[in-house]
Amino acid sequence: MKKVLTLLMAALLIFSLAACTAKDNAGTESNGLSDEKKGDKEKVLNLNNGTEPTSFDPAQGFDAVSWNPLNNLMEGLTRLDDTHEPKAATAEKWDVSEDGKVYTFHIRKDAKWSNGDDVKAQDFVYSWLRLMDPKTASPAAFLANFIEGAESYNAGKGKAEDVKIKAVDDKTFEVTLISPQAYFLSVISNPCFFPINEKVAAENPKWFAEAASFVGNGPFALKSWEHDSNFVMEKNKNYWDNKTVKLDKVHWDIISDTNTEYQMFETNKLDSSSVPPDNAEQLHKEGKVKSSGQAGTYFFRFNVTKEPFTNKDIRKAFAMAVNQQDIVDFVTKNKEKPAYGFVAYGFKDADGNDFRKTSGDLLKTNIEEAKKLLAKGMKDEGYSKLPEVTLHYSTSDTHKAIAEALQDMYKKNLDVDVKLANMESAVFTEEQTALKFQLSRSSFLADYSDPINFLENFTTGLAMNRTGWSNKEYDKLIKDAKNEADEKKRFDLMYKAEKLLMEEAPIFPLYFYNNSYLQSDKVEGIVRHPVGYMELKWADKK
Amino acid sequence: MNSYFVKRLISMLITLWLIITLTFFLMHAIPGSPFTSDKNTNEAVQNNLKSFYHLDEPLYVQYGAYLKSLLTLDLGPSIKQSSFTVNDLIGRGIPVSFELGFWTLLVAVVSGILLGVAAALRHNGIIDYLAMTFAVLGISVPSFVMATLLIQQFAVNWPILPVATWASPKHMILPILALATGPMAIIARLTRSSMIEVLAQDYIRTARAKGLSPVKIVFKHALRNALMPVVTLLGALAASILTGTFVIEKIFAIPGMGKYFVESINQRDYPVIMGTTVFYSVVLIIMLYLVDLAYGIIDPRIKLGKKEG
Repeated sequence: MKKVLTLLMAALLIFSLAACTAKDNAGTESNGLSDEKKGDKEKVLNLNNGTEPTSFDPAQGFDAVSWNPLNNLMEGLTRLDDTHEPKAATAEKWDVSEDGKVYTFHIRKDAKWSNGDDVKAQDFVYSWLRLMDPKTASPAAFLANFIEGAESYNAGKGKAEDVKIKAVDDKTFEVTLISPQAYFLSVISNPCFFPINEKVAAENPKWFAEAASFVGNGPFALKSWEHDSNFVMEKNKNYWDNKTVKLDKVHWDIISDTNTEYQMFETNKLDSSSVPPDNAEQLHKEGKVKSSGQAGTYFFRFNVTKEPFTNKDIRKAFAMAVNQQDIVDFVTKNKEKPAYGFVAYGFKDADGNDFRKTSGDLLKTNIEEAKKLLAKGMKDEGYSKLPEVTLHYSTSDTHKAIAEALQDMYKKNLDVDVKLANMESAVFTEEQTALKFQLSRSSFLADYSDPINFLENFTTGLAMNRTGWSNKEYDKLIKDAKNEADEKKRFDLMYKAEKLLMEEAPIFPLYFYNNSYLQSDKVEGIVRHPVGYMELKWADKK
Repeated sequence: MNSYFVKRLISMLITLWLIITLTFFLMHAIPGSPFTSDKNTNEAVQNNLKSFYHLDEPLYVQYGAYLKSLLTLDLGPSIKQSSFTVNDLIGRGIPVSFELGFWTLLVAVVSGILLGVAAALRHNGIIDYLAMTFAVLGISVPSFVMATLLIQQFAVNWPILPVATWASPKHMILPILALATGPMAIIARLTRSSMIEVLAQDYIRTARAKGLSPVKIVFKHALRNALMPVVTLLGALAASILTGTFVIEKIFAIPGMGKYFVESINQRDYPVIMGTTVFYSVVLIIMLYLVDLAYGIIDPRIKLGKKEG
């Protein structure tokens, strides 16, 4: 007995000593690095990525936690600048054919990979075909459907040879679109259109999984990556525009708890942080919260196949009885802009005007009108009493607070008792898609920078429609807009479409998302786009 | 002993198989898929993803394939972290969780037992009351509240320790304390009550009468018997603490296993749900076996596998 105990204790001791020494080494290693560099006044930006990037494979990581970092490790043909416009990046210039369908990109002579290889047109062909390949199973593949042949190849019906992209020579890349799309240049700034070094990928198909094998062509190179813990980027000396890059390093922690993140920011371990919900009101009051627009809409869907929302007037009554301003002022309290149309702010039309401002307030709070519409709708349907209405939302504190505010508004403004029900997020989405709800919450975040990305969602049969609404006139407006080469006419079609959407009201908008954050005064030049990913190329730290 | 071991091994394997089968079919019965999202994806993309991960095959085929790959200890690819396999995720998470868990257990067991013994020896005295008040607090205050309090006190108000992350021994102090408080309190209470019982028994009185030193009585004669309930508890406790805890690892940004247990279910990352469940079950089953072995060591009257005790 004693022997066993002694042995056990000895084993414990050895194990604990081993654990200690291992950690000690790790500690001194990283300390050694930072001490060494202290003399040079190295500029290190400390950011938090929230969670481990799902993948640095451009075709796989279809989310902000992968693409915010990846956007700085790699670069597409174009890159969005601080005004959110696509500018020449890996391509130094391009020619567009007269019909607006064929783009010929001229890749920079000095565009290099971080390992010194030349960035070639073939790298783009390889990467883009891989994105569309059904065997890659990329969740972002649909973004390439502008390109001729892409959609049928991805659906398993067409062949790779029929996709109209080609490398004319090492530095010339040609793409043919199905229809002229002025926003194409902005779409291809998206990380899924980044090139892949074909030679590197052939040698190691998982080149993107570890820092040691990662080869990029962006302003920064991946120096280290401790999975689930942190990763470090350093200035990429082979980047064509490395003179512009001011930071030496970017250290990304992976901290998912917003309170911890905030405390790290408060103790100067992070240069930027998200706003913790518990302290949001206080921080807003103190004027510490910075905010930038985000092209996304929080909205509710009616199910037009279920009573009472088969009736347009009743739908509009439920839409107009909601006070969006009160929701953002008293419920979300995050200074979002109330939404009276579906397309978010930040898209300029052919005359340079903001789409949202020009389209105006299409579905505005009007309680008197709402009451009238409800009475009219009930009369037309022959209801003496409104059928029971249940509002569904996916489980979250914010959604709950908003749903309760809506319930209150319906009681006060329309004298209607609405029931509330919540569900786990994936179950909720599944049921919503199957049109099981009457009225349910939703959100949309734009994938590319054009109002059509918002509006196309409600064409007949699309996965994102989820309202049962189908309107031939609307479908035609969207189809025509997609094929229209003349920008002015194209925007006119989209203005008409949004007006029709709000008139028919299969949905009603609540507010437009914004991106609020805390940031150290020492930091400047980080660009956050309404649609797109964080840019550190121009960032600096004093 | 050998025949006992074989019998035990067979029952362990059957238990494991039952857990795997139940989890597999229950998990697929939950509505939603790994590719359910609010995002705008089209049908072709969904179909490609399903066929890539063989989710378009009949369930029994998927089940068969899973069991087959499990025999080679291959837990399959993670769907959400597509560059990695489940083996990779467990391989990088478990050393961290294990390190945190090991120290937590050590702190909880040593301080819990000492606290319990001290309380029992001064039964109904001031030390007893203090220790038990402390224990009740430790049980009632959830670890995440403890963690937040500790961070606020020792990393923000009086910044002697780092807020979070997992870089040096210094970073380990707060999470270990936050995680150890609960188990320590439970162990202290258990030790106290069984110690009080044991101390009232005849053989202790005999030992006292023989003139043995109090230290020897407590630690050699009494504690050994009083530890039985603690050891029973320790099996399940060790399994859950060593495989990672969601809340503490999240608050302190520790790159352990804990998050996979919870997030995999929210994300319907089927291979990760299965992998974490299988892994946890194996650890738990082994821990329970070790507890049974420990019974025999602590109390030689308990003979494993014999009908008579």
